[in-house]
Amino acid sequence: MSIGAMLGDIVNSLFKKPATELYPFERKPAPEKFRGKLFFDPEKCSGCQLCIKDCPSDAIELITVDKVNKRFVMRYNIDRCTFCAQCVQNCRFKCLNMSNEDWELASINKEAFEVYYGKEEDIAALLARSTEECAEAPGKG
Amino acid sequence: MNTIFPVIAILFFPSGLFILASGLVYEFVDRKLVARYQNRIGPRWFQPLADLFKLLAKEEFIPKGVQPGLFVALPVAALAGALTAALYVPILGLRPAYSFSGDLIVTLYLLSMMTLCIGLAGANTMDRFSVVGATRALTQLFSYEAPFLLALLGPAIMAGSWQISTINTYAQGRLWMIVTQPIGFVVAIVGLMGKLELPPFDSPEAETEIVAGALTEYSGRGLGLFHIGRDVELVIGLTLVAAFYLGGLANPLDFLIKTLVLLLITAGLQSLFARLRIDQTVGLWWRIGAMLALAQLLVLIILRGLRL
Amino acid sequence: MNPQHPPEKFILPIGPQHPALKEPGHFEFTIDGEIVKDATVRLGYVHRGIEKGTEARNYNQDLYLLERICGICSHVHATAFALGVEKLAGVTVPPRAQAIRTLVAELERVHSHLLWLGVCAHEGGFDTLFMYSWRDRETVMDILEGLTGNRVNYSANIMGGVKVDVDDKTADTIRHGIDYLEGRTHHYMKVVTTDETFLGRTRDIGTMTYEQAIRLDAVGPTARASGVRADVRVDAPYAGYPDFPVDLITETAGDLAARFVVRINELFVSYQLIRTILDKLPPGEISVRIPRRIPEGETISRVEAPRGELFYFIRSNGTDKPDRVKVRTPSLCNWASVMELAVGHKLADMPMILAGIDPCFSCNDRLIRVNRRGDSQLWSWEDLRRYGIEQYK
Repeated sequence: MSIGAMLGDIVNSLFKKPATELYPFERKPAPEKFRGKLFFDPEKCSGCQLCIKDCPSDAIELITVDKVNKRFVMRYNIDRCTFCAQCVQNCRFKCLNMSNEDWELASINKEAFEVYYGKEEDIAALLARSTEECAEAPGKG
Repeated sequence: MNTIFPVIAILFFPSGLFILASGLVYEFVDRKLVARYQNRIGPRWFQPLADLFKLLAKEEFIPKGVQPGLFVALPVAALAGALTAALYVPILGLRPAYSFSGDLIVTLYLLSMMTLCIGLAGANTMDRFSVVGATRALTQLFSYEAPFLLALLGPAIMAGSWQISTINTYAQGRLWMIVTQPIGFVVAIVGLMGKLELPPFDSPEAETEIVAGALTEYSGRGLGLFHIGRDVELVIGLTLVAAFYLGGLANPLDFLIKTLVLLLITAGLQSLFARLRIDQTVGLWWRIGAMLALAQLLVLIILRGLRL
Repeated sequence: MNPQHPPEKFILPIGPQHPALKEPGHFEFTIDGEIVKDATVRLGYVHRGIEKGTEARNYNQDLYLLERICGICSHVHATAFALGVEKLAGVTVPPRAQAIRTLVAELERVHSHLLWLGVCAHEGGFDTLFMYSWRDRETVMDILEGLTGNRVNYSANIMGGVKVDVDDKTADTIRHGIDYLEGRTHHYMKVVTTDETFLGRTRDIGTMTYEQAIRLDAVGPTARASGVRADVRVDAPYAGYPDFPVDLITETAGDLAARFVVRINELFVSYQLIRTILDKLPPGEISVRIPRRIPEGETISRVEAPRGELFYFIRSNGTDKPDRVKVRTPSLCNWASVMELAVGHKLADMPMILAGIDPCFSCNDRLIRVNRRGDSQLWSWEDLRRYGIEQYK
């Protein structure tokens, strides 16, 4: 039976710093296991596509530039990703990992949300191929 | 000279711009204190000003089914009542602009005009939330008004006058009346919180039950005027209680310190309690509040009778 | 208001948009002054078609879809689904994985109860308790972030085990956090049981007797506050609970104050359990291989969500996509109790009674068919489709 049971709390708080974190001026680092943006290392990829099979939201796509020489490019749609890390779990060659530093992913234009991972020449070859296809069929978007 | 002084008094000081500005400052201090009690940061100094400007700039919707004249006029009337009351209290510790015998009662009724306007505003609209809010606001008016008046009457009896400036002068130079009439002080502070509908007595505008109570349909200018009216009332109420119980207000520094200390206590009381239901509020006031105030008065009358 | 009409009922709507509700739901209270005379509820504003969506995705993808039915009971949804599918596939999950599943489930329970404490205090106008309990909830969210990688939607489960492991550093962080939280929870227990203004809002409000709880089929802490001894972790232990048993907490008063006490006591039980699991974590693997195609069969899976008993029915047909997943969430069972108890109370008590059962509207929106005309309870897919077309013609 007491009136004002939180009196101790409120009087103490007058003399303490507020518990609010002044983001973006104070930015606490994320823990190690934090699931931020996905990164893909094309060196070790074998093209098994187990990661694609289990993605709940079709966020990643593996485009084969050259199957015999194991040259793959991954197209990653950040806006579709649910950051569940099932693809990381599935990959047997440790090609995929989720960063714990890259998590401020908001952007004001859509281009930032489609990322290509791969060797430079592979991505260039891919983009060249797609512009060729666009030039051939100008009627299609 | 005679025509300039009223104009200055109404437009600039003590009523008008000065009291509006100090209302905004006190609202900021109140919100900042409540936030610090709750271990958070709270708004920056210009937040109440920004809120006021935003509301004044927004479109005002007049809902269907209300009396348009009444709808628009009520916020103005509420603010007018609060601003007029500022002419009779010692703002900044200086002599009140106008003073006559019996102005304590007039000031208290001018302050109650705000609650009456809120009640009318709620009853005016067809919105169910407003009707419930208006009912609660008027119920609360009936319950705290009597004990609050009695609590302010105690110092008036001691000073032997109904004039605020006389009571103010009487309180200076004597032992603070908070020491000689502690019960009266408690009733006065809690009564002030009831008048201003501060938590725990914010049942008439309980956000989680009836959206915004009587003011649900108000937006834009009307809502802005109601809010600034409440801030002005906060300043006037604190001035009254500080003048009566905390040894009178002699100069601006005195005024600032005493009203801010009272605001510290009030903000603390706001953070400590859960919201009281309207029936609990009425029960509390009519049982405990009125009894305490009456007991205090009785003691005073007996003391004064013995001394004479 | 035409005076010649008969006196109309004064109906106060709460929702679907209302400051009291964190999620949309529609309640209509018929009030007379301040006393509530009648109450009705209408749900369905957050229906997303998840159960149908599970049929188009394979089991691994469904795990993440079902996790997002609710934000605060996401892990138990995923656990229930994983347990059911593992039962159908006939694999045994290693004990370390079950223990980690239990650890995350208990941490989620702590998170959920602290959140509820704040929300219910806010509904009662006690903003200070709301701010302080949510400040302390940040501690458990940071623990979960360090353990699983995200503050909400932990995604700790995979088919056949878990994907996160607990090392010594994480275990120490968890222990420190739990020690701090235990001290604060003692303080909140004191506030909730002794503060007069708060007791004025919770004592003898929404009282549900034992018989009423049984008749209305209430589940979870709402029922346990009325003395019903039902807790899936004790009656039918799953995951790690056979090795780490819990105590059953009940109260007899059945009012709102008792529900507060039950949930805070459950917090203490959770803290003890978390410490025990950390001390006695069995060594070994954290997952086991599970085939992609699950053999045909039907199974049910019951777990104890923070709100009560969560029930899953899974039917598989030999492919890698499930045939039917049916979810029955605990909040759905408690609405009847709210609607019956609300009558006779004052309007000001309505938000607290609504919040007292810890409603999770997102979990709720499943299809219920009320059997009014006495026809068959069984509805085939064609019947449902035909009903949908007729309804919206």
